[in-house]
Amino acid sequence: MEQSGTSSLLQGAVQELASGVVSALRSGDHARAAAPALADVEAEGLTLAAVRVLGADALLPSTLLHAPPLPGELAVFRKAVEAYPPGPGAAPAVVWSHWAMRRTLRRLDPGHADGPDGDPDAAWLEGATWQVLTHQLAVLAALALPGEDCAVARAAGQRPVDVARGFVRAVRRRDWRQAAGAGRWLTLLEGVPQTLGLENGLDFVELMGGQDPLVALQVRAARLTRAGAFV
Amino acid sequence: MTDTRLIHNVGAGALEWLWAHRDGFQLEPDVDPEVGFLERFKPIGELAMICKVLFREGVAGSRQAQLARQLLDHAWRETLDGGRMLVRGQLTEPLSPIPFEVYLPFKELGYSQPEIERAARLNHRLESWVAFEATPTRRLGLSAFQRRFGLPPRPPEAELRDTTWLARTPEPWTVEGHIAYDVTHNVFHLTDWGERPDGLPPGTADYLATWLPVWIDDWLDLERWDLLGELLVVDACLPRPTLDERAWEGFAAAQQPDGAMPALRTMPQGAPDEVFDIVYHPTLVAAYASVLATSRSLSRLAQAS
Repeated sequence: MEQSGTSSLLQGAVQELASGVVSALRSGDHARAAAPALADVEAEGLTLAAVRVLGADALLPSTLLHAPPLPGELAVFRKAVEAYPPGPGAAPAVVWSHWAMRRTLRRLDPGHADGPDGDPDAAWLEGATWQVLTHQLAVLAALALPGEDCAVARAAGQRPVDVARGFVRAVRRRDWRQAAGAGRWLTLLEGVPQTLGLENGLDFVELMGGQDPLVALQVRAARLTRAGAFV
Repeated sequence: MTDTRLIHNVGAGALEWLWAHRDGFQLEPDVDPEVGFLERFKPIGELAMICKVLFREGVAGSRQAQLARQLLDHAWRETLDGGRMLVRGQLTEPLSPIPFEVYLPFKELGYSQPEIERAARLNHRLESWVAFEATPTRRLGLSAFQRRFGLPPRPPEAELRDTTWLARTPEPWTVEGHIAYDVTHNVFHLTDWGERPDGLPPGTADYLATWLPVWIDDWLDLERWDLLGELLVVDACLPRPTLDERAWEGFAAAQQPDGAMPALRTMPQGAPDEVFDIVYHPTLVAAYASVLATSRSLSRLAQAS
């Protein structure tokens, strides 16, 4: 019971954090995003975990809107990066999501250099079916940024039709989070079939699933990307 | 690529079931007029159409070819009483296209009933026929049938091709069951039930090559075998069929030991005639998908050698 209580607390914290990111992306005011006050030890633990779950997207307003993050915001983010390094047997998506956070940190806080950071391995995506590819990309949607060059983005770039298929599959299954993440990737890719109807597809995903801030965040990010926001 | 034997065996099993349950293809001459005498003609037309495909492709084994011939003879002689039931249906509902639609594959296979042909020619001249309200895909199918009968289609197929859902290549994520059935039938009509894959306009073929794998994946996981079977037919009608291994294995695994294919998930329970009414269509579709996919698989082998 305690575990499920903790996990629902964490889910609540992630949703709240994502809501903050969404409003910051909407208003263009990054200060309304993720700068939670660290009231006590327990709350801090929860906040750090929530930031780790949201990953690099916790600082997405700063990344996409070119506004430097608030110092407190950055400090929490840095703490989350340090508190949750991927373990030795971590799944590739976990490794990559942590990599994306470190890269964001270096970009937004140049003073905090932690040494060169080579690409982790993206071989697990190469032989993946289009279903698995899309699922993994949606989990790693925080990497879907204009101008982001990494092995995952290159793997996505080589398979626009497969990602588009995965988007359709996710919509059909009403998996709005996956659909929104895939849709965000698709806004970046060349060679996406015109018949997909991506623009209306993103609106549809927002209409059907946008009350979930994790969906709204991806749709908003996709729109900003489409509108020409650049890192 | 899927093992050709697996694909073939699905059809072989389906034909055994259809033959064993041939008495299920029966009309109800005393049916309540509100239900309609013509309601039960459709399965017979579908049976004839699929047997025709089987003869045309020529890839079924001798046992299957023999069963198909016996099934056709049974349907014509027993169920349709040598075509007289078609005439009776036409007299009951003179403007209905159903007797003509059921008759056409029989005619193409050498059976004959002159009175139905007279009715078909008369109906063809009527403005009422041209104005007959139906979905664009059904309308296209009626015109294709007129062409195959030897009449100039009214309206011409060229006028109808662009009016269907599929022709507009809409957002693929909007497809649900009814739209999917419209897509499959549209492809059947454009290709004359798989005889002319080049009947698909290139834009339509590209669209299907891109999105059909998603729909197959989806309805496989939903275990909607009837629709999955039709989608597997569509795959076999494409310029480059995928003959998707996972889909065919799932489809084959759903088939019962006696050859019956459930419509949805597992076999229904109930009286034999109720079960027949639910299961005959997916089983016919299984035979159809099997014969076309087997044929395409063999063509591929021949090209590779």
